[in-house]
Amino acid sequence: MPGAALGTLLLVVALVFGGHGLGAALFLAGGTYVAAVVSAGNRIDASATLMAVLLLLCGELTAWSLDERWRIRPEESLAWRRGAAVSALALAGLAVAAFVIALSAVPSSHGLLLTVAGAAAAVGAAGSGIWVARR
Amino acid sequence: MTGFTSWRLPAYASLAAAGVVAGLALGRVEPVALAAPFLLALVAAAAGHEPQVSVRLSLGRDRALEGDEVTATIELLSARDVDRFEFLVPLPPELSIEGGPARAVRLHADEEKTIELTLHCRRWGAFALGPLLVRARDVLGLRSWEGSAGEARRLRVYPSEETLRSLVAPLETQVFAGNQVSRARGEGIEFADLREWRPGDRLRRVNWRATALRRELWVNEQHLERNTDVVLFLDTFAEVRAEGRSTNDRAVRAAATLAHGYLERRDRVGLVGFGGFLSWLVPASGTRRLYAIVDTLLTSSIVLSYALRGVDVLPPRTLPPQALVLAITPLLDGRTAAALLDLRARGYDLIVVEVSPLELVMTDANSATGLAQRLWRLSREALRWRYEQVGVPVVTWDEGVPLAVPLEEVNAFRHLARPA
Repeated sequence: MPGAALGTLLLVVALVFGGHGLGAALFLAGGTYVAAVVSAGNRIDASATLMAVLLLLCGELTAWSLDERWRIRPEESLAWRRGAAVSALALAGLAVAAFVIALSAVPSSHGLLLTVAGAAAAVGAAGSGIWVARR
Repeated sequence: MTGFTSWRLPAYASLAAAGVVAGLALGRVEPVALAAPFLLALVAAAAGHEPQVSVRLSLGRDRALEGDEVTATIELLSARDVDRFEFLVPLPPELSIEGGPARAVRLHADEEKTIELTLHCRRWGAFALGPLLVRARDVLGLRSWEGSAGEARRLRVYPSEETLRSLVAPLETQVFAGNQVSRARGEGIEFADLREWRPGDRLRRVNWRATALRRELWVNEQHLERNTDVVLFLDTFAEVRAEGRSTNDRAVRAAATLAHGYLERRDRVGLVGFGGFLSWLVPASGTRRLYAIVDTLLTSSIVLSYALRGVDVLPPRTLPPQALVLAITPLLDGRTAAALLDLRARGYDLIVVEVSPLELVMTDANSATGLAQRLWRLSREALRWRYEQVGVPVVTWDEGVPLAVPLEEVNAFRHLARPA
């Protein structure tokens, strides 16, 4: 609970101060959830997919609200397009997260392969962020 | 264009990496599930590519008057789809655009888009609009590309002019034909005198009534119509500015009005911008001179300077003999006062129109500030007295009062007290 409360506070700070602290807020929220799940036992928590999408929506809607503060008069269709894109990203994220949860039901006879794949995914995630930043 | 990433991309990458590492370390699938949507967002960001958009800015016209509206047209053409294209027209404070200077549009590949903006010209001046500041973003705003595009376009906003029914008549005229009734006598319209006939006089000038009375030929004499030389002397050493209004703005409008009025009656008009930045135009007539004067006025601005200047720095042809010098000044700088008194001492026909700054100065009931303001007003009164002592009419032009009012005061002064 303290983690969640702190995460919420950081989210409010991010909204007030132009996005600063949003990453920390999402980290805190996700970390608090993972800690709660780990402490609850070995049972897989199916609400992880919903939690994942909510975290993503938190980030995207915060960014959208901050973008709307610019005094730029947009075409009417742009707001609808962004809304549709955020929704599509959320739905796709939900599907991917559900797929990951479903994969966990697969027997772990290929544990080493999965571990290597997971490590590669972690490196890929970090690397893609750097690549996009430099492009 | 320079590419940028959103501030949230590093956070998403960190979250995704942390989620996968935590899943591996803890042996749980939930952290990996948390990381999955953020990985998807990174993939979406990587799909964006730099746009190629051509931008063209044009103005409906390059000259306008204060208060006019000018249409600015922005034409966009993109080689690829752009989810969100934003542009900003950098504007000086004197111009404004209805709805703000920034717009965001969607561009389709190879489809030209035209956006029209209405520019409102609030104040005179010479401006350069453009280039535009542009930014292209993907639909989620994860990546953007910024730059500038288009060429600068010049816009001249001329000062608004008042309608004057009468102008101050110079005391002396020049040798060329004009609309001013001269004291010299010859062929004209205004009756001047009668005299005896001399060989060479035209028959139609004979005054038959006088001839019948005196039994000799007597002829009418008329006043000649001649032009005059007028020099507008603009004090640009200092101004008082408050709430978007300034004494320099009113002075420029007055100068434009007077230049137009005198040039319309075929007088020669010159201009002296006397201040930190010295500018001058020798007297000339015609529409070209009017445009030259107004274009020079557009660039007149207050430039801080500590240089000691006198009228001897001006070229001799700028101030022709017997010219009427109309000084438009807020009476703030002593160098202008010294220069004008010098002109009077040289025998110029000088009139001072004081652009009153008092309405722009907030009166303060506080004893120290109020006392200082009283002293300042007294010093201005003393300066006016110095001018009047040497025969220079000084009229105060208050804000909100038509320019015709102080000019009529000058005419009344000159009618009652003929300068030496």
